[in-house]
Amino acid sequence: MAEQTALRVGVLFSQTGATAIIERSQLNGALLAIDEINQGGGVNGRRLEPVILDPGSVPIRYGEMAEQLLSEDGVTVIFGCYMSSARKEVLPVVERRNAMFFYPTLYEGFEYSPNVIYGGAAPNQNSVPLASYLMELYGNRFYFVGSDYIYPRESNRVMRNIVRQGRGTVVGERYVSLDGTPEDFDAVIADIKRQKPDVIFSTVVGTGTVHFYQAYLRHGGDAAKVPIASLTTNEAEVEAMGPEAAAGHITAAPYFRTIASDANRRFLDGYRRMFGSITTVTSCCEAVYFQVHMFADAVRRIGSTDTDRLRAALMSAEYDAPQGRVWVDPENHHTFLHSRIARVDEAGEFVIQREMPRPVKPDPYLAYPALNDWSLRLLNPDPDTDPLGSRLEHVVHVNQQHH
Amino acid sequence: MSTNNIIRSLRALRVLVLHPRDNQAEELLRQISRIGCRGAAIWPPPEKLPDEGDVVFVEVKETISKDIRRLFDVDRSHRPTVIGVVAYENPSVLQGLLDLEVDAVVTVPLRPFGVLSSMVIARRVSQEFKVADRTLGKLKRKFDSVHKISQAKFILMKLHGLSEEEAYGTIRSQAMAKRTTMADIAQAIINADGILGSTAARRKPERLKLTVTGD
Repeated sequence: MAEQTALRVGVLFSQTGATAIIERSQLNGALLAIDEINQGGGVNGRRLEPVILDPGSVPIRYGEMAEQLLSEDGVTVIFGCYMSSARKEVLPVVERRNAMFFYPTLYEGFEYSPNVIYGGAAPNQNSVPLASYLMELYGNRFYFVGSDYIYPRESNRVMRNIVRQGRGTVVGERYVSLDGTPEDFDAVIADIKRQKPDVIFSTVVGTGTVHFYQAYLRHGGDAAKVPIASLTTNEAEVEAMGPEAAAGHITAAPYFRTIASDANRRFLDGYRRMFGSITTVTSCCEAVYFQVHMFADAVRRIGSTDTDRLRAALMSAEYDAPQGRVWVDPENHHTFLHSRIARVDEAGEFVIQREMPRPVKPDPYLAYPALNDWSLRLLNPDPDTDPLGSRLEHVVHVNQQHH
Repeated sequence: MSTNNIIRSLRALRVLVLHPRDNQAEELLRQISRIGCRGAAIWPPPEKLPDEGDVVFVEVKETISKDIRRLFDVDRSHRPTVIGVVAYENPSVLQGLLDLEVDAVVTVPLRPFGVLSSMVIARRVSQEFKVADRTLGKLKRKFDSVHKISQAKFILMKLHGLSEEEAYGTIRSQAMAKRTTMADIAQAIINADGILGSTAARRKPERLKLTVTGD
């Protein structure tokens, strides 16, 4: 067989700057999937070839580099972006050039583009379950700490509405710049001590996460009494901050490294082989990993990378991801994802506390999520220790959309 | 209605798309359903708008058919929120937007991004218009009534030599006795004055004085 030209795909994650920890993890997820696909003979005989650019965590650079990938590197598909502000730069570029853009990151919702497939959680898939869990276990006085950009502010708006429905209050709200220093968090923690919340909801992202958790520990914060709960704090950041600073804190996400499934074991084995260790595997890494596979499967089915045909093929795309089976919702281009809540143990590993038995339908335009939505109640993974387990499971099944 | 409620109640809106069935209408309906509203397409234009339309997207072209014009030619209190869908921005189409008194505009080829903002702004504009219309109506009625009462007061003062307070008191006690409004009593006084031909208001002050003393 004659050597066919490689199929080039754009990979746009920052390896430097404020969000480099998490975006390097996403880059690795893409590279692992691409390697697996190539090991298996490529896509219809063509090798996948990543064209990797580093936007340095500067939003405007993402738009410029997307333009470069599409106009100069002959790419029609891009995997990339962590921050919403970066995605907003890429969006008009891929729409103008009718390229396909895979966005493997949780975000605040309220977006749809025919040129984007969203692989991360929308607020209904993570905020609602997290709020309900926190109010049940810790109390309803919340303190919000976030990085100063669109995602934290919108996430906090959603969370505030849910907290109010639970008759809770937001006793404080602070934003720290994306390149915040450890000292910036000292002031925040002083205020937290004054306000005495039951729980801290953090939408701090990037290196600030490490500074924040470490500062909390340094100032005597007790995670067992008042934990920091987050939608973004992940394995890579726990690794960076150390298990002592992370222990007892809580994260809601579709994927955790500790999921016991064959698909996850294969994923972790592959990651370890390729990168030496699995310490930087995160839910955003898993998202890009399954999105690359979804893309390759779709191209195999249609034998083309034509954007319009690819879009149509992706509407029925599903994949046995490390988190479990996931599929694209053709109504809104977001993904049916699993919903899990985990707490960090003494060794710095996430231990799953609650999970949905089935993937949750994405609802990116949900302005006012309902706290008492039965379809979003989570189950204890071990039903024997949950007196309501069987009853809830029944309700959850009834309310779930069947695929 | 507070602006916060506009966002909160978005998903309760029933949305009609009055547009030929094509890709643009389909894409618009899909975005409406993504947003979480109930949407329905209607084409050709019906005899009258169904009652269940809170928001109507309507195609606006260089000429607006009588059928379409008639649908929106209703009292504003019965008018849904109207969003024009335009493919051109020439003066004929712009005039059409003004004639139909749309509350917001979306453009085709349709981009899903922007539909939600247009809906929110259109709701605010149409609600503000309705509130303003109601307030204006109320003020106009109030003004008419104040005007009538002062006219009737003037007639009573001139005809019967009453003071302003006495004239006012007479109108008020009549209204209470007859269980009606002061404006109604004032109107009756003005009417009677017109019929009896002793119109105080239309006469010159000197002449008026003579008439009054002549009685």
